[in-house]
Amino acid sequence: MVNSMIVPWEINKSTHEFFVPEYILSYAQEVLKHYDLSVKSIEVVTTKPDKGGAIWKIDTNNGPKSLKLLHRRPTRSLFSLGAQEYLSLVQEARVPPIYKIKSGENYIEAGGKLWFIAEWIEPLQPVTKDLEGAKQLCYALGEFHRLSKGYIPPAQAEIASRLYKWPKSYQKMVEKMDWFRQIGTAYKDMPASPALLAVVDQFETQAIESYRRLEASQYSNLVKHGNDYWGLVHQDYGWSNGQMGKDGMWIIDLDGVAYDIPIRDLRKLISGTMADLKYWDITWVKEMIQSYHEANPISPEVYELLMIDLSLPNEFYKNIKEVVFEPENFLDEQTATLIQTIVETDKTKWPVLQKLQDEWKGR
Amino acid sequence: MRILMICTEKLPVPPIRGGAIQTYLSGCLPYLKQEHEITVLGVTDPSLPNKETVDDVNYVRVDGKIFELYMEGVIEFLQSNEFDLIHIFNRPRLVIPVRQVAPNSKITLSMHNDMFTPAKISSEEGTAVIKEVALISTVSDYIGEQIQALYPQAKSKVRTIYSGVDCDRFLPGEHPKMEKIRQSIRRKHGLENKTIILFAGRLSSNKGVDRLLRAIPELAKKHKDLALVIVGSNWFSQNNVTDYVAYVRALAKKLPIPVVTTGFVAPQEIQNWFAAADIFVCTSIWQEPLARVHYEAMAAGLPIVTTARGGNPEVMIQGENGYIVQHPEDPSQFTEKLSLLLSDRTEMKKMGERGREFALSFYQWDRVGADILAFWKGAQETLISSEKIDYTDLLNNSSTERVTNYFQHMPIEAPSMINQEKVETVTVKKKKEKKKEKEKTETENTEKEKSEKK
Repeated sequence: MVNSMIVPWEINKSTHEFFVPEYILSYAQEVLKHYDLSVKSIEVVTTKPDKGGAIWKIDTNNGPKSLKLLHRRPTRSLFSLGAQEYLSLVQEARVPPIYKIKSGENYIEAGGKLWFIAEWIEPLQPVTKDLEGAKQLCYALGEFHRLSKGYIPPAQAEIASRLYKWPKSYQKMVEKMDWFRQIGTAYKDMPASPALLAVVDQFETQAIESYRRLEASQYSNLVKHGNDYWGLVHQDYGWSNGQMGKDGMWIIDLDGVAYDIPIRDLRKLISGTMADLKYWDITWVKEMIQSYHEANPISPEVYELLMIDLSLPNEFYKNIKEVVFEPENFLDEQTATLIQTIVETDKTKWPVLQKLQDEWKGR
Repeated sequence: MRILMICTEKLPVPPIRGGAIQTYLSGCLPYLKQEHEITVLGVTDPSLPNKETVDDVNYVRVDGKIFELYMEGVIEFLQSNEFDLIHIFNRPRLVIPVRQVAPNSKITLSMHNDMFTPAKISSEEGTAVIKEVALISTVSDYIGEQIQALYPQAKSKVRTIYSGVDCDRFLPGEHPKMEKIRQSIRRKHGLENKTIILFAGRLSSNKGVDRLLRAIPELAKKHKDLALVIVGSNWFSQNNVTDYVAYVRALAKKLPIPVVTTGFVAPQEIQNWFAAADIFVCTSIWQEPLARVHYEAMAAGLPIVTTARGGNPEVMIQGENGYIVQHPEDPSQFTEKLSLLLSDRTEMKKMGERGREFALSFYQWDRVGADILAFWKGAQETLISSEKIDYTDLLNNSSTERVTNYFQHMPIEAPSMINQEKVETVTVKKKKEKKKEKEKTETENTEKEKSEKK
């Protein structure tokens, strides 16, 4: 029997794509013994070596399933597992049902981490990468948010909530803009540094303005409704974690769910999609919001939060925050070009946000 | 008295995994156990038994990590054990549940952080806590003031009991016990002829070490042979490098002086780094209760540059054992204060010696022990109200969400607020400044005497 704690592992040239350390594979075998299943085959389908997580697809006498090693703290994983069970059993949402161990629990603990098995949903197909696909994703997301309301985690779970943390995360973004500036200054001879230093003030000002707007918004009143009133944000939603099944859209990989005003998922989907388009398209944004709204109606107050969250320099921040890791590699010609693209795209954002603001007022 | 000391749910006692509260508790236990029968209730740990008696102190350990779970264990324990006095560390939210099962015990609180804020406890429960405890000790005046700002009725119950340090373990580098260690550390890292500036603490943005790094280029222009040592456990961690650690590393790489980063240093060995250093800098930007490193630096005979945040300045006499930076967001203020120290080496050494004297006179564990014994005596003499209140409703209604103003601790600064060129005039200003500091010191001295009389 193995008894060491599961920790992240190294990958290098000699390890293959889905390498998982031997001791973890032994744990997987131990874990499977707790299930009333005969396993015909097992294959690794995803690994998170830097975090210490993995997913296997297993073929069993009871059909295909996924076996997951959750990398988060066990008490944190309990929150997500409870959510998955609530959504599938109580709310009958299209999320993979959890397959229980012999003694009836949702999970088994091994190597200091939680493991669980869920149904492998097939067939699943990504939606098309066009406006129609985006609308399907948005509708499914709205549905997911609506059904997640009322979730109460099991007593042993820690409360994962982003609900009260909006000001803090806005603040963090403002703070990091100064980090970018300091690094650009310290590494001023790198190719991308002049470009970075030329625009960092502008994006810092945007972030501060968003923070001020959040402060003036209904945010503080909205959060008073409490965690379970608002439901869960997925935090990793997009073209791969929302897919079309036989009977409709399924939402998978719920490991990161947390309480929040979940509109943040929609914001990420919109700003990410516009970044892919390389310009802000009013029709796309309007229709994405509309599809979401049909599944989970957006109140004027929440709409305001969506507008504020869209006003953050999200794409600049998301792409540049890596700079702290290896500035001597990151600040190359490619990043200089990237910054240029982000700045150009950002210019097209503001007229769109202005229109969205005006049109919603007119409703 | 039969006394129960309830530690927090996070780290075990003895402090095998560190922790300021755990260190405080263990530091004064030898003095407390001489007068009372002590039981320490804490969290379980794989390397410690759930029940043991060591050096006449009973240890009981229940599951924790999560507060609610820990609270259950505490209550269960108290249902079958009785104590004259229950001393609760840093968890005001344990007070009312404990009162429900221990109606006749005196309850005292030892506060180490801002735990009475609306984010941590509802005002209804907070009011009940203040009513039920006999006395509250705080690790700094700052923590006491924060409690009184929210609960003015707590005024008569609050006492500051500063923490302590083992002055036989934390010793100046020239002490016979330390001389060799100092030399060998310096040799090992190629710092033999350097003036070592030491930072020890968590590498997180509220602890502000980035400001020190940004202060170095200017400082290095004026003072030769400087080196920086950063003792912070998360520096080398390969797998979980936070953005902040990465940022600090990136800045460090570009500095014109040697930067030694130690990575994790076992709590039992940390004194060696203090002995190897010449100046200690605390860069905290947040309102810190009062960081233990100040006591350790003083005991090690290091002059200190710290920040005017939270309780940190309370152990400082400006110009006597070091200097206080008023606006730690601004790196040039660190340049200025460090430059002031470095410009007069004799004075700098004297400040370290004064620090050592302070540690020996005011911050040893026997003093902490004596303070707590007197504090308990005071608590014993208070009257317990005969009126027993049933708090069941209060406990049932207490929700996990208590925050009222989510923006209150978020000062946002305008962009490009920091003027990097401010430092130019330091040397010219020096004499004037010194005079000013001296005047300030005198007033602070009298204040310090006052607070010591308390």
